[in-house]
Amino acid sequence: MTDQNEKVVALLGQPNSGKSTLFNALTGMRQHVGNWPGKTVEKKEGHFSHNGTEYLAVDLPGTYSLSANSDEEMITRDYIASGKADVVCILADSSQLERSLYMLADYAGITVPCFLVLNMSDVAAAQGKTVNAKKLEKKLGIPVISFSAPDTKSYDSFYTVLERTVREKPVLGADELESRYEELETYGRIKEMIPDGVIPGYSKMWLATKAVEKDVPVTAKIRAALPEADKMAFDAAVSRTDKGVVLTGERKFAWIDGLLSDTAASKKTKVALGRFDRLITHRFWGKPVVILIILLGLIASFIPALPLMGVGQLIAKIPDPLNEAMLNIGCPAFLAAIVCDVLLRSLSFIVQMLGFVFGVTLVFGLLEEIGVMARISYVFDNTMAKLGLQGKSVMPFLISFGCTMGGAAGTRVIDNWGQKVLTIALAWAVPCGAAWAVIPMLSTVFFGAWVPVIIAVILLVMLLHMWLTAKVFGRSLVKREDQCGMIMELPPYHKPKWGALFRYVFGRTKDTFVRALKVVVIVAFAFWLLSYTSSGDITDSILYKAGHAVEPFTRIFGMGWQTFMAFIASSLGKEGALGVLSTIYTGTGTISVGSMVGGAVAENINELLTANVSKPEALALIFAMTFNMPCIVALAATYQETHSAKWTARIALYYTGIALVLAGIAYHVGMLIW
Amino acid sequence: MKKLSELEKDAEGVIAAVNGDPRFVSRITSIGLTPGCRVTVIKNEKNRPLLVYSRDTMIALNRQECDLVEVEGGKA
Repeated sequence: MTDQNEKVVALLGQPNSGKSTLFNALTGMRQHVGNWPGKTVEKKEGHFSHNGTEYLAVDLPGTYSLSANSDEEMITRDYIASGKADVVCILADSSQLERSLYMLADYAGITVPCFLVLNMSDVAAAQGKTVNAKKLEKKLGIPVISFSAPDTKSYDSFYTVLERTVREKPVLGADELESRYEELETYGRIKEMIPDGVIPGYSKMWLATKAVEKDVPVTAKIRAALPEADKMAFDAAVSRTDKGVVLTGERKFAWIDGLLSDTAASKKTKVALGRFDRLITHRFWGKPVVILIILLGLIASFIPALPLMGVGQLIAKIPDPLNEAMLNIGCPAFLAAIVCDVLLRSLSFIVQMLGFVFGVTLVFGLLEEIGVMARISYVFDNTMAKLGLQGKSVMPFLISFGCTMGGAAGTRVIDNWGQKVLTIALAWAVPCGAAWAVIPMLSTVFFGAWVPVIIAVILLVMLLHMWLTAKVFGRSLVKREDQCGMIMELPPYHKPKWGALFRYVFGRTKDTFVRALKVVVIVAFAFWLLSYTSSGDITDSILYKAGHAVEPFTRIFGMGWQTFMAFIASSLGKEGALGVLSTIYTGTGTISVGSMVGGAVAENINELLTANVSKPEALALIFAMTFNMPCIVALAATYQETHSAKWTARIALYYTGIALVLAGIAYHVGMLIW
Repeated sequence: MKKLSELEKDAEGVIAAVNGDPRFVSRITSIGLTPGCRVTVIKNEKNRPLLVYSRDTMIALNRQECDLVEVEGGKA
């Protein structure tokens, strides 16, 4: 953006048109993901260069049209009108050409130079569909190419056509379509009234069509530009048309039919669901099959994850000997502690989980790309709609049983930002692998045979928690219009573009690593400061003093200062809670970041716990830990995925509060029992 | 005229009208379901979204929404 010579190419296409794949293939690791200013819609930009020219690719939000029904559509329209894009690349799906050219028809009348990419030509060819791009090019007046993402030769023609469009600035020919609009009673009248330059880049034809469609922002803009005397007549003309969208829609498709009548050919095939689609849409087997697919995906995610987990564990072995070595050579103790205890432990913790993020992004990115994710969305749409979510949200929830960070990474396939944030917020309530390692163990120590009951209650509370959280955050995150019933296509399956996928996965993993490391190091350092004592006596630390000071308050929630420390530790990492309790009750050593993220636990921890903690307090701790913030890495991943510090903080505070409330309830229920 | 949701599996029809609020009408138009368009019902089971095939596209539609789409000539 700083480079004046940089050409801006905006990618425009309906969902499933292969827009993201093209974007990833073009820009690879040179991507930047953020939000559109003031909007809850993700903004993706990336750089690439070809033949010495630098390009900025802008991945416009995937929308079905250029109407004004959603933030995504408004952003897309406004961006094109802003004049920031030198050229617009419009994508259509060759295997569903008629339907997917609707975006092109809706674009007609916009004078920003553009070219048309007929994507997925491989899928179309396999279905016996052909299209004559050259002939279509003549009819439209803009460059048209057949394109197939997995085919490397396709990219050569893509670059050629891109350069040609930048050079020649062709504008989509719309006369033919306009003559169809002229059949509409009010079209001509409205168009006559429109003054020049209402919205730069948008012709009178486009504006008139939108006015016929009763598009609110466009109508308001035209009205504002009109002289007072004409306003009444304009309003009258606009209000005369009923269901303008249907009328113009019919004409758009008639225009498309005309375009394709002698340029596209297809073998008439009987439509039927494939074997896999029959299984997945089955009223009984659909859901089990989807859950099985996600679980298999989860297992597959571990395969690329394992080596990095090994590396992380190796890093974890460094701090102790290094600490000693640093002290031996006379290095100040606090410096050694910062390097070993804060930096290296944080690094180890993140690297171990990063492998999982990589695996999840790869496996579920692949499922998205080949078209399986759309089926998952279909199968779970009814269920997830009750929470205001898309069917796809089921996937991050299931992944979160393994690792919340992986669950957060899995929300990348959700194309609506608000629903994505809400999915992450709900996924936090799902007890992760670390909770499942700690909670049954703690429960066994205190409650023996009652463990199954406790686990059942935890699962029940989880469902209630998710329902409540959806109610609490849903209203501000998911707009009512996004909750409308499902209208979605089940795209044909297609081959993945491995190179682009891997570059994308590496890029996102790298971003996660950098951001997570920052967050974790800061939090670990703060915690280290709080727990630091020069004397080595835990009672000298700020943490102890603060814990002691708030004990009257934490008692309400059933926790003494020791268990409250464990609760605080569990928000960094669940395994850490045991390490902290162990340190406190054995009275040896200090609580350190090391003990927080999986430090040594005394051998007689069971006796120590039962001797020091009452049953109600243990129950309070179990609930507090389970429903606390999952861990700092999950917090960092949430920030990375939502790009919103505000929402990350809001979710974290909410979870801490709810965990305490649940602990309080558990404690008082426990008091009644024991 | 029938509602789209009243067509049985494998029945074919031609869309006669699309009703509902502007947002829905716009959305269903942009996915290609416009008056005059031929649709085939692929799956129609109780309490599940309808699966229809139209303009080379497999489309999943919520049941309530299907009530807003009217079709003609569908042999039930």
